[in-house]
Amino acid sequence: MNTPFRLDDHKRRPQPLAPPPADYFERLPRQVMARVQPPAGSGSAAFGWLAFLPMPLRTALASVAVLGGFAASFFLSQPTAPASVPIAALEAVPHTEMVQYLLASDSRLTLTDLAELSAADHTLTDSFLQASPGELQDALDAQPTEENYL
Amino acid sequence: MEDQEILAKFADPAARNVAFNQLVRKYQSKIYWHVRKMVIDHDDADDLTQDVFVKVWNHLENFRRDASLYTWIYRIATNECLNFLSSKRRRFFLPLNDVGAELAQKVEADPGLAGDEIELRLQKAILRLPDKQRLVFNMKYYDEITYEQMADITGTSVGALKASYHHAVKKIEQYVNEESRPD
Repeated sequence: MNTPFRLDDHKRRPQPLAPPPADYFERLPRQVMARVQPPAGSGSAAFGWLAFLPMPLRTALASVAVLGGFAASFFLSQPTAPASVPIAALEAVPHTEMVQYLLASDSRLTLTDLAELSAADHTLTDSFLQASPGELQDALDAQPTEENYL
Repeated sequence: MEDQEILAKFADPAARNVAFNQLVRKYQSKIYWHVRKMVIDHDDADDLTQDVFVKVWNHLENFRRDASLYTWIYRIATNECLNFLSSKRRRFFLPLNDVGAELAQKVEADPGLAGDEIELRLQKAILRLPDKQRLVFNMKYYDEITYEQMADITGTSVGALKASYHHAVKKIEQYVNEESRPD
C-alpha cells in the first residue's frame, strides 16, 4: 500500500515550473522602461517641462486648460454683428437688379411689399413702376384687403 | 539598494529612470514567479509582470511610505493576477473548472515538471483550489511570506489567512492521494 501524500514530507521546489528564457530577466527591465518612457518626439520639446512639475500642479494646469478651452469656444461662438455681412452683400447688388429678380422669380412679392418699397425709396420704384407715389397709393387702395393682419 | 534609497532617487526627476530600473531589477524575479505560478503560462506571466511594473511606475509617486514597498508591489501583482483570471473566465464564458482544466493542461505540458509525477500531481492539485486560496497557498508555501505581510497584501486578517492555508493543505493532500489511488 502506498504511503499517503503529506505536504510536509514532500521536498519543496521553490520554482516548480520551467524557467523563463535564459536572458529574460536581462530583457525585462529594458522592456518595462520602454513602456514607461514617452515615445521620442511626441511633443517632449514643447511639453517636456510638465514632467518636472508635481502631480497636483499638473492636475491644476490640466483643469485650467480644459476650462480655458470651454471659455474660448464659448466666446468664439458668439455672433459678432450677425446681420452685417448679409446686409453688406445685399447692398452691393443694384436695387433694380434685385427687384427684377424678385419680379421674375417665383418669389411671392406681394403688393404690400411694393407699397412698403415705394414708401421706403421713391427713386427705386420710379425706375420700373413709372407711376407717381399718389397713383401707386390709389392702385393699392383699390386692391381688396385680404391681408387683414396689416 | 534599499527601498528607501530607491524611493528617494525616484523623487528626483533626474535620477528617476535609474531608480526605477533598479527597482525592477530588485523585484522582477519574485514578481514574475508569483504571477507565473498563478497563470502558469510564461507569455501571460510576462505580460502581467510588465503591467505590474508599469502600474508601479504610474503610482509610485503616490506610494505611502508607511507601507512596505515590497508588499505594495506584491499587492499590485496579486490584483493583476486575480483580474486576469476573472476576465479570462468572463471573456470565454468559462466556468471555474474549465479555466482550471486549461491551466492543468499547461502544467502537464510544462517541461519543468516532465518526469516528476508527484510534483505534477501536486501542481494539478494546487490548481484545483479557488484563485484566492491558491494565492494564499503560493505565498505561504513557495514565497515564504509571513502571515502579517500576507495580511497587508490581501487585506485579510491573519487568522483567516492561517485557516485558508490550513484548508488548502488538506485539500491538496486529499487531491493528490485521490489521484494516486489505483482505479
